Amino acid sequence: MSASSIGATDQLATPPIGPKPLVAEVGGGRLGDIWRAISRNRKAVAGLLLLLVFVVVSIFPGQIAPDDPTAQTYPPALGPSWHHLLGTTSLRQDIFSQLIFGTRLSLVIALAVGAIATVLAVLIGVSAAYLGGIADGILSLVTDVILVLPIFPLIIVITAYRKNSGLFMLIIVLGVLGWSYGARQLRSQALSLRTREFLESARVRGERRLYVILFEILPTMTSLIVATFLGSALYAVLAAAGLQFIGLGDPNSQSWGTMLYWAQSNEALFAGMPWWALAPGICLALLGAAFALLNYAFDEISSPALRVRKLERSRIPGRLPSPADTTPAVAPDRSVLKVEGLSVAYATDAGPVVAVDNVDLDVGRGEFLAIVGESGCGKSTLLYAIARLLGAPLPGEIIGGRVLFQGQDLVLLEERELRRVRWRDLSVVMQSAMNALNPVLTVAEQMRDACRAHSKMSKAEIEERSREVLRLVSIDPVHLHSYPHQLSGGMRQRAMIAMALLFTPDLVIMDEPTSALDVVAQRSLMVQIKELQERLGFAVIFVTHDMSLVSHFSDRLLVMYAGQVAELSSTRELFDRPRHPYSQGLLEAFPSIRGPKVRLLGIPGSPPDLAHPPAGCRFAPRCAHVQPRCTEGEVPLSTVNGSVVRCVLAEEGH
Amino acid sequence: MRPRGGGALSEALLRTEGLTRHFRVGKLTSRQTLHAVDDVDLTIGRGEIVALVGESGSGKSTIARLLALVHRPTRGEIWFEDRPLSRLRGRRSRLAYSAAVPMVFQDPYSSINPAYRVSHGIVRGMKLHRGDLSRTGRGAELNRVLDAVGLVPAGETRRRFPYELSGGQRQRVGFAQALALRPKLIVADEPVSMLDVSIRVGVLNLMGELREQEGVSFLYITHDVASARYLADRILVMYAGHLVEEGPTEDVLQRPKHPYTQLLVSAVPDPRAELGLADARDVGEPPKVVDPKPGCRFRQRCPLAVAECETVTPQLRELGDGRRVACHVAS
Ligand SMILES: Nc1ncnc2c1ncn2[C@@H]1O[C@H](COP(=O)(O)OP(=O)(O)OP(=O)(O)O)[C@@H](O)[C@H]1O
Ligand code: SF4
Ligand code: SF4
Ligand SMILES: [Mg+2]
Repeated sequence: MSASSIGATDQLATPPIGPKPLVAEVGGGRLGDIWRAISRNRKAVAGLLLLLVFVVVSIFPGQIAPDDPTAQTYPPALGPSWHHLLGTTSLRQDIFSQLIFGTRLSLVIALAVGAIATVLAVLIGVSAAYLGGIADGILSLVTDVILVLPIFPLIIVITAYRKNSGLFMLIIVLGVLGWSYGARQLRSQALSLRTREFLESARVRGERRLYVILFEILPTMTSLIVATFLGSALYAVLAAAGLQFIGLGDPNSQSWGTMLYWAQSNEALFAGMPWWALAPGICLALLGAAFALLNYAFDEISSPALRVRKLERSRIPGRLPSPADTTPAVAPDRSVLKVEGLSVAYATDAGPVVAVDNVDLDVGRGEFLAIVGESGCGKSTLLYAIARLLGAPLPGEIIGGRVLFQGQDLVLLEERELRRVRWRDLSVVMQSAMNALNPVLTVAEQMRDACRAHSKMSKAEIEERSREVLRLVSIDPVHLHSYPHQLSGGMRQRAMIAMALLFTPDLVIMDEPTSALDVVAQRSLMVQIKELQERLGFAVIFVTHDMSLVSHFSDRLLVMYAGQVAELSSTRELFDRPRHPYSQGLLEAFPSIRGPKVRLLGIPGSPPDLAHPPAGCRFAPRCAHVQPRCTEGEVPLSTVNGSVVRCVLAEEGH
Repeated sequence: MRPRGGGALSEALLRTEGLTRHFRVGKLTSRQTLHAVDDVDLTIGRGEIVALVGESGSGKSTIARLLALVHRPTRGEIWFEDRPLSRLRGRRSRLAYSAAVPMVFQDPYSSINPAYRVSHGIVRGMKLHRGDLSRTGRGAELNRVLDAVGLVPAGETRRRFPYELSGGQRQRVGFAQALALRPKLIVADEPVSMLDVSIRVGVLNLMGELREQEGVSFLYITHDVASARYLADRILVMYAGHLVEEGPTEDVLQRPKHPYTQLLVSAVPDPRAELGLADARDVGEPPKVVDPKPGCRFRQRCPLAVAECETVTPQLRELGDGRRVACHVAS
């Protein structure tokens, strides 16, 4: 993957109004939702059932086990039989009964160690993050030291030293040494929360520190805390068994670990009593598996990005052609890019969401096409689809349409063939240069990697070309060996553009390249892009939410609304005579810096939820001119004086 | 709109004198001082909306945090209702000030705790600052503030979780939280910059309405000069930690005096005007104000710079009509 597509991952992973986070449900006590999430997750169900079995067994061992586990009344070393399901030990005990009675202690050790380790991890991890400074330094150092200590030998030494104190000691030692991994994770999550404004908001409100930690930070970390608990329970199961196996922590107690110890010291495996060792081993593995499954499931439930959803094409309304039935055609000479009927869908919990719906557009050689629209209208998704950056690891799938570039349909190309096109002929500049540039490589190194991946240039040629493109975007080549963080925001954006120009592509796709910049830097970058474009002759697709930004630069303007084309016309025409009520609303939503000062109204309401788009015209719920025929059926695109408009009023010159 | 000039000091609700905040940066061995805010004198009148504009890193948010008591001033004083904040003693009086001067944050996606319902922040604020309210009183007040910011029906929105709200609605929750404290001055740090164009105006209008109906003053911090013109009575322009120009909004924006204000205004994209290319070569690199020497901080970028600018830091001068500018050349 190229550097620019790394940036793409960052952006789509956090959609503007993302899938609802689990934490909200936990904090609000919406147990119903959690339950639904769990019951839909197979790993969670399996883990829970497994755990439930062990819990029941540990509560009612007497009712389940056929015999007293300590009774030494049977013939020694019997094989499995109806009477003794797993045979007997050389000490004349029933193995199955021992197994059943051993469950309780094994489970108690796991839960108790899990609880101790979690409490410590929360206390230490969260305090370190919240207090910062020296306190953080010390706590983190302790955490890291414990993390790299060879814990197991240490535990052996400690428990061996206090051998007689038995089980209680075992639990404490395991708990006290087992928190470090969780603490580290909790610290880093709390650190990332620290910059979140709701914490600052609470402090500005006048809340005390303790309140902020307990009631503002912790509730948002529920999932990680649960995960920490499950993780340390898993560790406890294994560590306790290991210790007991070598005879530490009261060998006379009833647990699977001690069974292993006795089995081992009586050479069970070779003396015809295999189940004495195998049965507790399997149970330990199963209990560990239960915690591991739950842990994994919980991760999935709480971070929707991990969940693998399948796109259910049958649930997508409408008759969208699938990519397979389209035959490649040759794009006409004058256009570099021709997009026909392109549709993209995301799989979500609410079913498929068609984020780009049947979009047609073409870009002429050397043309500057701007795409504007609000967040969530599908601008970025459209760009990713055109550059074929969707698909693992990015979610989203092209469900129909063609992207004709240089006479081939990009939708049908293999990843290997795409690499030949991407960057050389079609390059992408992402929204946030800080995310798209690799922070640990210098600009020169990133340019070299790109050149190596896409060409056979020699070292000297690469160096020469890198300097050349930097000069193109007015960056002094001395910055070639700077790291991204050493450059200002404006310079980083310029460096990104320089990288996109390494091979003088035919088409450069830009997603809000200036949105992080101040107006002065923004204008200078826009002017520069325009000059480069005129000089080198590449075409540009420029996505922005700010119409006025492109007013002086773009040849044509495409207004998107809720995944569809609302209007496409020449820029001047669109500013002078906007035909779609949404375009009109957008133009009237900008306060002007020079014109007469008038009260503005904006557009009432907000864009529709794409999982349930309104019937008929998607803008109808917010439109001042709505009429019955708008909602009766799909409103088609119509062409009026060279402008393409999706509105029933278009012809009446609105 | 009711433009108000920078009235007499007795009318001032809040004013600062020589407000300065430095941060220590760099490694232990090479300690440096970053001058985030230097010597800022500003006033905000009762019921006045004052815009604070400037590029990122110019110190706007640091001023907001100083006013919200997140940072302590390195030097200088903040006077609120003619009482100096440095003499605020005890939790009680700090809380009283926090309630009078709450803050609204920039990012609607991170400024509300996702684990709680919308009502949480609003009710917490009332519990902390309005102990006189009973449980039912708080309920009624909750509905009132949600109504006032346009989150209707209040009875339903109060039960929502943040993820169920759009960005504009979340930002309204921020204003409702502030309003529940019966504020006198709301410090709004870039409250619309992360909102969509079509809903931005709605939030700007909301601030105007709150001023009209509740008599609240606003310090509206933004880098969007056009929205400052739309909303504010007076405008303050910051550059590299200094206040470089101030005056009635319309005056300053139509006839900017300071070369930086001129550059800023000319760079605002305006489809209704010609593209201003005269100074498009300025790439917009603000200086890092680390251990600065005297002299104008804009001098490297300034087309009008004279010798004096290299050595003498220009101070704000009165130009009449409520306008002030910090420049040796401008008049
Ligand atoms: N990973 C995802 N899973 C599900 N839906 C997604 C995902 N990413 C984006 N979406 C949805 O797809 C739609 C279009 O998103 P997209 O990011 O393309 O919008 P945009 O116009 O670029 O917005 P912005 O201006 O905020 O970047 C939105 O409804 C969004 O919520
Ligand atoms: S089709 Fe109807 S609802 Fe849609 S934009 Fe046109 S007038 Fe408005
Ligand atoms: S003081 Fe000098 S350098 Fe500074 S803005 Fe005025 S003329 Fe320019
Ligand atoms: Mg986007």
